[in-house]
Amino acid sequence: MPEPSLSQQNLREMASRWLSPSKVPGRFRVHEDTTDFFRVEYDDVVVLDGATYLIRHNAKEQRFGLEDEVKFWVKRAIDLQDGELKILKLVFYEKFLSHVGDLEFECYRSPRKEARILDLVAGHPGFMQGHAVEDTGGNLIRVLDFINGRPLSKQINGLDLDHETYFYERLPGVLNRFKEAVEAIRFLHENREKHGDIRRDHILVDREDGRYRWIDFDYNYRHRENIYGYDLFGLGNILVFLVGMGDVIVRDLATRNPDALNTLSAEDLNLVFQNRVVNLRKVYPYIPVALNRMLLHFSRGTHVFYEQTSQLVSDLSEVLEAHLPPPETAEEKGETNDEPGEDLQQEHPHCGG
Amino acid sequence: MTNREKTFNKNILIAVDESENARRAVSYVGQLLGGLEGFSVLLLHVFPEPDEDFFRTQAEKEQWMEKRRQKMESVLADYRGMLIDSGFGEDQVRTRSTMRYCPSMAECILEERGETEYSTIVVGRQGLSRSEEFLFGSISSKIVNHARNCTVWVVE
Repeated sequence: MPEPSLSQQNLREMASRWLSPSKVPGRFRVHEDTTDFFRVEYDDVVVLDGATYLIRHNAKEQRFGLEDEVKFWVKRAIDLQDGELKILKLVFYEKFLSHVGDLEFECYRSPRKEARILDLVAGHPGFMQGHAVEDTGGNLIRVLDFINGRPLSKQINGLDLDHETYFYERLPGVLNRFKEAVEAIRFLHENREKHGDIRRDHILVDREDGRYRWIDFDYNYRHRENIYGYDLFGLGNILVFLVGMGDVIVRDLATRNPDALNTLSAEDLNLVFQNRVVNLRKVYPYIPVALNRMLLHFSRGTHVFYEQTSQLVSDLSEVLEAHLPPPETAEEKGETNDEPGEDLQQEHPHCGG
Repeated sequence: MTNREKTFNKNILIAVDESENARRAVSYVGQLLGGLEGFSVLLLHVFPEPDEDFFRTQAEKEQWMEKRRQKMESVLADYRGMLIDSGFGEDQVRTRSTMRYCPSMAECILEERGETEYSTIVVGRQGLSRSEEFLFGSISSKIVNHARNCTVWVVE
């Protein structure tokens, strides 16, 4: 039951500051314990440590080529004190075997891990921001600042450019931003934390300053010998995606560039995803050798692996300084043409992919 | 045993877990050295302390660890029996199971060796594919690359 200070009348008054009169609910259901997150619905109120949040939509997970999946434990909400948009991540535990190509490993979701990392990265511009608070049921809820931006994957896939123009005009700026993002992951690793689910759609491009910001740290994986190997593999996949202006798929080359296709061997393909080309210089010969060499670390033909993020940062810095044209002042033109509010901060359920 | 100025002892450390490749390593040492004088073997199992994030509660973590501990005790007893059956004396084979925070199992094993003065480390080869080695890392490769002042046998 709501506290006396949170009577229905109080809540109506608070909500009416941020909603048009027709949108203000007649009656609010108030939750202080969110254990059963399915019961927390649109227009309900969640009270956490004295703060009051009006629930809006559930977040949706973007799926490759499939319909979006609703994440009932991730809610968009309005902070009724100041009207700020927030994301509330309620507690949902899951453990499962994840598959990357043919490889299988154990993944799990941990609110504690995400809470710990939120503390660690407070004030760091390379990460989503927020804090964790326990509800009355002992659930560790993460209250996240809403990021006005869209996933890096959408930004790159939405570019209407030929690759060569992209390469000379946009890629240096994109890779500068990406280097900052890799440095942010290095910061996590230096503090003995994994991101756990590094993917191209777990970077949001902030519309305000163009920065790449990592989201979703609640995944973890049971590492074996190389504690950060899976994070590094994720970074490599994003790098190849960025340099290729999207995935370069073997099948597509048959029509787009059959000459390049004829030069490819199995060793030119992704270490795990064997339909993706990694040796992009064979498709786009203007890619510098030094940059292509970085990509080849993630190919089936590689004998040398990156073991630490610092190695990746170092190589990326050298490529940017010595082998690519300087970035244009408008760093990532690709972030234009967004419809405001088009994209939601997403929640994704998978390690890998 | 000497190699110019360096002296090697006859203490063999076999790093094991419950995998088939660890069993192969134990079997190899048994066949090679069983019945010979002067050798002693330590069967070492380093039990990586599980990440607290993996469990909802402390009780769940302790239960999981206890199960693992029991399982490894049984596996170590089995390996010890294999060596004794191969000709090692009962006093020549010791077991040790230790739990510790292990961001790298290879480094943990090498640190254990440093403390225990064994000139030879034996590990089983996991036979990882290249992609597995990238994503998960190879314990044996790392031991080979990082071991100092000792000999490493990697059993195929």
